[in-house]
Amino acid sequence: MLSVQSYITPKNIKKKNRGDLIARNIFRATSILSASFVVIVIIIIAIRGLNPFFTSYEGFNNVTGIVYLEPVNPVTFLLNNQWLQGPVGASSDYGIGFAILNTIIAVIMSTFITVPVAVLTALLIAKVAPKRIAAFLRTVVELLASIPSIIYGVIGLGVITNIVSWFAGLFGVQTAAGLSLMSTVLVLFMMTLPTITAVAETSIRSVKKDIIEGSLALSATPMQTYFKVVLTSAKSGIFAGIILGVGRALGEATAVSMVSGNSFSGVTFNVLETTSTLTSRMLLGIKETSGIDYDIRFSVGLVLMIVILVTNVSLKAVMKKVGNLDES
Amino acid sequence: MKANMKLKNRYDKIASTSVYTLGFIGVIILSMIIFYVTTTGLSLVSWDTITGDSATINTNVYLDTGAGNYMPDEILPEEIFYSETWGIGLIDTRDREGHPIIEIAYLHPESPLLTSLDKNNTDEEGNPIEIEIKLDTAIEKAIFNNFTSFAFLTDGAEVMRDQFEQATSISDLTVQIVGGGIRGSVITTFWMIGLTLILSVPVGVSTAIYFNEFAKRTRFSSIIRNLVDMLTGVPSIIYGLLGAAVFIPLLNSTIGTGGGSVLSGALTMAVILLPTIIKSTEEALKIIPDDLRKGSLALGANQTQTIFNVVLPNATPGILTGVLLGIGRIMGESAALIFAVGAVIKDSVFLTERSSTLAVHIWVIMGGEAPNFELAAAIAIIILVVVFVINFIVKIFAHQLQKNMNWS
Repeated sequence: MLSVQSYITPKNIKKKNRGDLIARNIFRATSILSASFVVIVIIIIAIRGLNPFFTSYEGFNNVTGIVYLEPVNPVTFLLNNQWLQGPVGASSDYGIGFAILNTIIAVIMSTFITVPVAVLTALLIAKVAPKRIAAFLRTVVELLASIPSIIYGVIGLGVITNIVSWFAGLFGVQTAAGLSLMSTVLVLFMMTLPTITAVAETSIRSVKKDIIEGSLALSATPMQTYFKVVLTSAKSGIFAGIILGVGRALGEATAVSMVSGNSFSGVTFNVLETTSTLTSRMLLGIKETSGIDYDIRFSVGLVLMIVILVTNVSLKAVMKKVGNLDES
Repeated sequence: MKANMKLKNRYDKIASTSVYTLGFIGVIILSMIIFYVTTTGLSLVSWDTITGDSATINTNVYLDTGAGNYMPDEILPEEIFYSETWGIGLIDTRDREGHPIIEIAYLHPESPLLTSLDKNNTDEEGNPIEIEIKLDTAIEKAIFNNFTSFAFLTDGAEVMRDQFEQATSISDLTVQIVGGGIRGSVITTFWMIGLTLILSVPVGVSTAIYFNEFAKRTRFSSIIRNLVDMLTGVPSIIYGLLGAAVFIPLLNSTIGTGGGSVLSGALTMAVILLPTIIKSTEEALKIIPDDLRKGSLALGANQTQTIFNVVLPNATPGILTGVLLGIGRIMGESAALIFAVGAVIKDSVFLTERSSTLAVHIWVIMGGEAPNFELAAAIAIIILVVVFVINFIVKIFAHQLQKNMNWS
């Protein structure tokens, strides 16, 4: 007689469990592998990024031939107002200070434009608009979010710079074919709009109905309710969206490098002048894949990561404070 | 009271108008993007562009003899200007960017041009090399009769034909295979997608399984989870540096590539895709009812068998969503690949050499003094169509997942 129990022998169970254990360890190993990449990124960028500050690179000088360059000075690197003093390969006097400030200026400007538009779009989608229009707008936002940055770059160069250059012409200002801080800000605006809208919409939609109905019962109009009750309750979610958008804007590379004009020096607040961000400096003029002019890009990458980290941490601290105010 | 109501109503009107106005800016941006790329690039989106070579190749040939009388064996259409002396039919046409060119539209089967001689190179013994002039190539410049008469592409096909008619010898004919195609980049993009998914999907799905099915709430697993979450926040250009600093040297030393390659790009993209694939797989795993797992375990299957036979099949839409989003990401990625592969457009693709995907192709042709807007917009149309279709399919999958959730 064959029963189920005859299969459940200690030997069989052991075999079954052994297979399970192996599989479990494989699953665990892959998860450790996935997690390790962040650590690898940080370590590698740190090592390669710090390298130019300690190593003497081989350079080339028209007069004396091969020369050994001084290691890059970290203080002047962070503070200098000019990308490189002297010709490429013959000097190691790199500086990134102006690009750090220009990056922050461009991102702050674009965030100030994006946030009101994104929040109101989110409000429109989540609460104000009729169902059909809301669904249409939501699709539009999703499509915008899925467009890769290189295409925003094409639009930036093909449309935005022309508009900017025409706009500058109205005031009699000559621009570098529209390559300017304004174009950069507008491209960043287009790219962060869907990011912030999507997150803000989710948080606005999840505002509880009781609060809204309570406000309406107190004879507030729908719009008053939306602006004063709904938006305030969704504050932390909207802020999370802003943090995400700022992160995306800081790390945005190709589109920005196409429209910023990639200036070599100078902090600019003038929206019609060319500018250059950390990412656009990293992308510009890659030819060789060795030497100081290539390796310095890792240092810029390291600075970029630190800027992103600091921004993220400080924005989160602000968010916590805003959240606390809510409770008190 | 009444005045108050009026004020309220006015406030409402202003507020809703401004919400509607600002809310439609997104629509304006999307329409602008679609309008610009279609008006600029649609005429270039053709099979010809997709399969064409990117580089324009000029060949210089000469012929001292061969002029004769070659009657065409078919009646040629009017717009072809035919030279009986050399057996060649020319036509006025335009290249992919809309510039006028003269193309060879007909060649007599016995035309001497089929065995014309290479002007710049000879074989090892110093004898001239024969080059076959092909149909659909362009003629940029033609010099005849020992450099005494000539015709350029700007003269038009008719003038050039007349010059051919009077010529007794061809001193220097510049034949051009017109470039501006994107075949190499299309192939690279396919390779990049395939290789990246092969590398990324198993690791990503397996990580998601570990998180959702095994990981207990220990310190270790929460650290791992946080680290994986951090991958999302790293900008793609930093991943490019990772590729340049880790994967390129790794491949150089193991399989002997020289510098960046499609493989190093795929490895880099695989890391970029990991969070996407992990997240969408996990979402799908989360909504699978626990009853299914318990049922399988109660029937005597062990956890591994349960995962492979019960859990994973039900999570397929989620995994596919991750794969599709990943394909979209690969199609659009540029900054990371510029560092991890290098921005070089190739016509013949080797996995161990540099090459550019479609997005990097745009970056290359938009850089420099004379950006090629038409081709860039045409490639943008291709990328946009793929990305939008993916978006659409993902929406359908999400719908299906929601249905699945309601089954229990």
